[in-house]
Amino acid sequence: MTRLASIIAATLSALPAAAQDFSEGSTARSWNLYAENPAFFEARVVDPLCELTGNCPDNCGDGTRQLALLRTADDVMVLPLKNSQPAFTGAANELQPFCGQIVEVDGLLLDDPDLGATNVYLVQKIRESGTEEWTKANRWTKDWAAAHPDLKGKQPWFRRDPRIEAEIVAEGWLGLGPDAEVEFLKEWLEE
Amino acid sequence: MIRHLALAALLAAAPLSTQAAEGERVTIRGEAIDTWCYFSGVMGGADAVVGSAHHTCALWCSAGGIPVGLLGEDGQVYMVLQLEDDTNSNGGDTQLRFASHTITADGMLYKRDGINYLVVAEVVADDDIINVNHEDYGVIPPFAVPESALPE
Repeated sequence: MTRLASIIAATLSALPAAAQDFSEGSTARSWNLYAENPAFFEARVVDPLCELTGNCPDNCGDGTRQLALLRTADDVMVLPLKNSQPAFTGAANELQPFCGQIVEVDGLLLDDPDLGATNVYLVQKIRESGTEEWTKANRWTKDWAAAHPDLKGKQPWFRRDPRIEAEIVAEGWLGLGPDAEVEFLKEWLEE
Repeated sequence: MIRHLALAALLAAAPLSTQAAEGERVTIRGEAIDTWCYFSGVMGGADAVVGSAHHTCALWCSAGGIPVGLLGEDGQVYMVLQLEDDTNSNGGDTQLRFASHTITADGMLYKRDGINYLVVAEVVADDDIINVNHEDYGVIPPFAVPESALPE
């Protein structure tokens, strides 16, 4: 019996990290994504460029870099791609205040082997480990508004962002050049 | 010349840290994509969330700080953590300029926990947008192009 238990334990420990289930305790909202799995776990907020190359500026790069979650349970480095806002916004701004800290996060892990999606994450809320109060992962648009006080308006940020606007003016909505898309846009918008 | 010196400096510096992972020198040709839409399927199939059909959304996501990846000719996605001397992977200017472009990148590849991470030392070729797929898919998402874009 003891030998059987040892074999089972060894087999379980050899399973790939992607097979682990972190849904226990999660209250993450579904986004109705094909490959989503609710995931609540503890991790350290790290700068992946630092972890991989040794290029380690102070404070995880002060908001200029992507950040990752080094999961306590299995030392897997999870890369958050998305915050909780349905606004084309990433997760690095949400994690930056927690640089270097041990946190708990709740959100959605994506697991789609056909596309190579593994250990990528949508973070919905964050808290310092051992504390009760969650921080919603929805600060990105507030950060943008604070950085662009002269661009107030009713349109969402991505309709007002000067860098995006400049790219579209120069290269067009399709990126093929404004002249190249005239006929398509007429057809597309007049349908 | 400066670019070659920068490449040499980056390649030489990478192994200095005792904590650094082991990287592999690679040259990868691929399209600079929006990794969230590609991996999540939130906007539809993988073939529709790339190229000219998805260019405006790719700009939004890049500027919005969603990680940019290179969708390599081998079908794998390579997460870009640095583009030449620009380490601003959180919505930086350099990655925005390359949105939807097919580029050839020389740099270091680090594999960890099923994710490919790419530190690009030099973009050796920029072929602009060559995946012209809007004739097949239209604009993804359709609201990306507002009615105000209608040519006069």
